[in-house]
Amino acid sequence: MVAVTDTVLDVDSVDSGYGDVQVLDDLSMRLESEEIVCLIGPNGAGKSTVLKTVFGLLTPWKGSVTFRGEDITGAEPADLVRSGMGYVPQIENVFGSMTVDENLRMGGVSRESGLAETIDRLYDRFDILDDKRSAKASTLSGGQRQVLAFARALMTEPDVLLIDEPSAGLAPSIVDDVFDNVQTVNDLGTAIMMVEQNAVEGLSIADRGYVLDQGTVRFEDDADALLDNPEVGQLYLGG
Amino acid sequence: MLATLVAQPSGGVVAGAALAPGLAVGGLDYVPQLLNYFVNGLVFSAIIVLGGIGLSLVYSIADFANFAHGDTMTVGAYAGLVTLGAVGTAGPQLLALPLGFYAALLAGIAAAAVVAVATHYFIYRPLDTDSIGLLITSIGVAFVYRAVVQLQFGTDFTEYDVAVLRPVPWIEAATGITITEHELAIVLVAAVLVAALHVVLQYTTLGRTMRATADNEDLAKVSGIRTERVITSMWVIGAGLAGAGGVFLGLYNQLGPRMGFDLLLVIFAAVILGGIGSVYGAMLGGVVIGMVNRLTPVLSDVGLPIEPAYANAIAFVIMVFVLLVRPTGIAGEGVS
Repeated sequence: MVAVTDTVLDVDSVDSGYGDVQVLDDLSMRLESEEIVCLIGPNGAGKSTVLKTVFGLLTPWKGSVTFRGEDITGAEPADLVRSGMGYVPQIENVFGSMTVDENLRMGGVSRESGLAETIDRLYDRFDILDDKRSAKASTLSGGQRQVLAFARALMTEPDVLLIDEPSAGLAPSIVDDVFDNVQTVNDLGTAIMMVEQNAVEGLSIADRGYVLDQGTVRFEDDADALLDNPEVGQLYLGG
Repeated sequence: MLATLVAQPSGGVVAGAALAPGLAVGGLDYVPQLLNYFVNGLVFSAIIVLGGIGLSLVYSIADFANFAHGDTMTVGAYAGLVTLGAVGTAGPQLLALPLGFYAALLAGIAAAAVVAVATHYFIYRPLDTDSIGLLITSIGVAFVYRAVVQLQFGTDFTEYDVAVLRPVPWIEAATGITITEHELAIVLVAAVLVAALHVVLQYTTLGRTMRATADNEDLAKVSGIRTERVITSMWVIGAGLAGAGGVFLGLYNQLGPRMGFDLLLVIFAAVILGGIGSVYGAMLGGVVIGMVNRLTPVLSDVGLPIEPAYANAIAFVIMVFVLLVRPTGIAGEGVS
């Protein structure tokens, strides 16, 4: 268990949604530095909406979002990237018409220096990307795409990374690799807020977890405790 | 109107065409005539390509079919006319065009870009509507552009104050191809602009961010790309090229308030044929449609009762057939 020091991301009493449709209802949660937090819950609970609202793709109707003590409610994604936050969307998370190399360059577009070095480091770390530098992202397999999406978000070396369902649509053997990557990034000092449909696996690498239902937090606890909680188990972990 | 304006061959080719009836189609004597059609097609294609690129860029990045794009060309053409009038035609010449004409070309590019960016900031962006809403809005914008041009310059046709040329003698002597220096200038400048655009798109950060924004705007934003700036750059480049196309259209034919709008359908055909949203598809489609348009006289030369006035109709028929076989267009990668 990582030593908890301070809150890097604080979501306070947020309402949010799409158009007129409200999804989040008075939702509050936080992310401490250096931890992995996993958001689980049924489809439509609002897990992805939390990430989109934090990252400025949706504007909160009410409430506030604070990043390292600074109010970022309604801030532009491009500004959040520059202040040290990263986001890996669940779907369409690579530029399919561009090469692997170009995808990484786009991830590092906000960097003022060290672009080439960072790309080289990521190639060292992810061999499958190294082999496919000039391949178009649309030609990659699902697992390779997920690695590229992840690497693109790491180009800025973010302090906080939001990840939306990294295991979605992947073969079980690849899922383990993806979670290993998440853990490695976390070990290097990045705090991670992750949405995961695969609740048991997600919680097993997390420090803490939130169970969302109908746009609000139903349970909040250490990940191990949530896994052991009979009520959570019965309602949300499929048995 | 469309047919007469667009299908009007340039002076050089009219001279060539007058020789045609006496020639045996299919014989060796017909080759120079065929080459002339191709060369004329190349000139016309250059203008279509310059217009098509912007239409394709707006479609892929701003996400709508811009019906004001033809009139953006008109704006460029008339800005060139005003500039040429102010600068004059004195001084050294390049390809039989005075330096003032090149100043007019730059002015046409700049004016079209400024007008398009202003339209984006004052009309399209504040409206904050969907693709269909923007498409309909752009039809209104097209009327406004055209009305302003008409108020200022009237409805009569006019021409740039540059001498009408005979075909370059040595090219005609050597190959039988009749092409004027002005037409050479159109093809050469268009080629330079297209090559420059290619370099920007493939090898610069601006170009990559444009491609990224076209590919997936949300992902571009979360990657840290300032998409608003990219969209502004896209308008500058797309409308600027349209402005250049407008000036060349004025040089190739003549200027009139409907010149750009009358060409818009042909440009749409080219862009759709190439694969809508693909800049390179727009270039390819522009060449194909421009060539087909100017090769139409071959049909009457071989005895088919299809006159050159049907050039646009034939271009559309070809577009329909290509789309039946390949619905995404030649270079289109499908809708994601």
